[in-house]
Amino acid sequence: MYILQALDIYKSFKDVRVLRGISLQVKKGEVVAIIGPSGSGKSTFLRCLNNLEKVDGGTIEIQGEFMVENGPGNTPSYRSEKELARIKRKMGMVFQNFNLFPHKSVRENLMLAPVLVQKLRPVEAEKSALALLDKVGLADKVDNYPFQLSGGQQQRVAIARALAMEPDIMCFDEPTSALDPELTGEVLQVMKDLASEHMTMIVVTHEIGFAREVADRVLFMDEGVIVEQGSAEEVLLKPEHERTRAFLSKVLMAR
Amino acid sequence: MEYLLSLLPAMLAGTTITLKLFFLTLIMSLPLGVVGAIARMSRFKPLNLLMQLYVWLFRGTPLLLQLLFMYYGLLIAGIRLERFTAAVLAFVLNYSAYYTEIYRGGIQSIDRGQYEAAHVLGLNRFQTMTRIILPQMFKVVLPPTSNEVINLIKDTALIYAIGVSELLRVAKTAAVRDFSGTPFLVAAVFYLIMTGLIQQFFKWLEKKYDYYG
Repeated sequence: MYILQALDIYKSFKDVRVLRGISLQVKKGEVVAIIGPSGSGKSTFLRCLNNLEKVDGGTIEIQGEFMVENGPGNTPSYRSEKELARIKRKMGMVFQNFNLFPHKSVRENLMLAPVLVQKLRPVEAEKSALALLDKVGLADKVDNYPFQLSGGQQQRVAIARALAMEPDIMCFDEPTSALDPELTGEVLQVMKDLASEHMTMIVVTHEIGFAREVADRVLFMDEGVIVEQGSAEEVLLKPEHERTRAFLSKVLMAR
Repeated sequence: MEYLLSLLPAMLAGTTITLKLFFLTLIMSLPLGVVGAIARMSRFKPLNLLMQLYVWLFRGTPLLLQLLFMYYGLLIAGIRLERFTAAVLAFVLNYSAYYTEIYRGGIQSIDRGQYEAAHVLGLNRFQTMTRIILPQMFKVVLPPTSNEVINLIKDTALIYAIGVSELLRVAKTAAVRDFSGTPFLVAAVFYLIMTGLIQQFFKWLEKKYDYYG
């Protein structure tokens, strides 16, 4: 049984066809890494899964519930906004630029959605916020504001904020791309910890090392299609396609 | 000195009128500006266009003209408004137009990522606006808002033109009656005190909002 199924996703911006028939099925507890050159559509795909972009065609099903279904004539029909909000609550999302709320303290960033959306009592929300901050190693920053934290710390707070909603699937959109190289380690460590707790994860990343170490499956995307996929070893060490090889050699050369 | 003191009662009465107009305008136009900005950015075209027209009309013509229209113009058309009511109406409509534009700029300056973060956390549109976007907007718009508030104090003098006895009109009456420039100086001091206080208030407010970077 799949926890998430996306079938034949199409998406264009104006005349540019960004996604050209992407399908992905994820099992519970699986860690999927999506790699590929910029402009390959990998971020767009992740954003479609989180309903940040509407698909032009295709089906997305989360834990057996359709978010969007292909209707007659290949036109996608979305569930109502209210239904979407409910279904999507099972998805957590971490952005490249953290997107913490700058006017709120770390504590407030973590408590806001649980209190407003899940209607948790503030005391309970605070308790779980503190526990999550402890988990990402930032218990001492609870009263700080985002601007007082380093990029790596901000991203760890963002991960904790997403976890506060108790998602079943965590999506990461290039979570370390905006960070100085010396700060990526602490974020990747938090993600590794999550993976070891069998969190289902979909990670768009340029960190080939991370993909190799943590991902159960690696997808290589280029020009809106999945060129190849398989175990980390298969895709990263013995890629079948020339395009994958070319990409990997470029990425690995750069380091 | 005795002459100065003799001026004070009338001047203070004029100042009361001035302040009444000032606060009434603020109380109404500040919130209306928020509503206006949201309507102005609406994806519903007719509303959007209507707001554009409104802003163009009230920013594109002199406040004095609007004031004269609200009183004399409507009077000629058979609608009789109290002088002070006409003044409040003109001021609120005019200043709301300015605040609409200021707030729109403020809202649009907020990063798209803030909406997206709120969206993935499950906040609805209202919660996103009231908890995430507007609080950040207030910080952005404080400096331009403070400019407009100071302008407002000075603009109140315009209601002189429809015969309301605010501070400047009182001063002028006294100046003509006593053939003296002193009442104008006193009025200037009064205005300076008011704008000075407003400046201090906004300084304090900006400092208060400085708690985040």
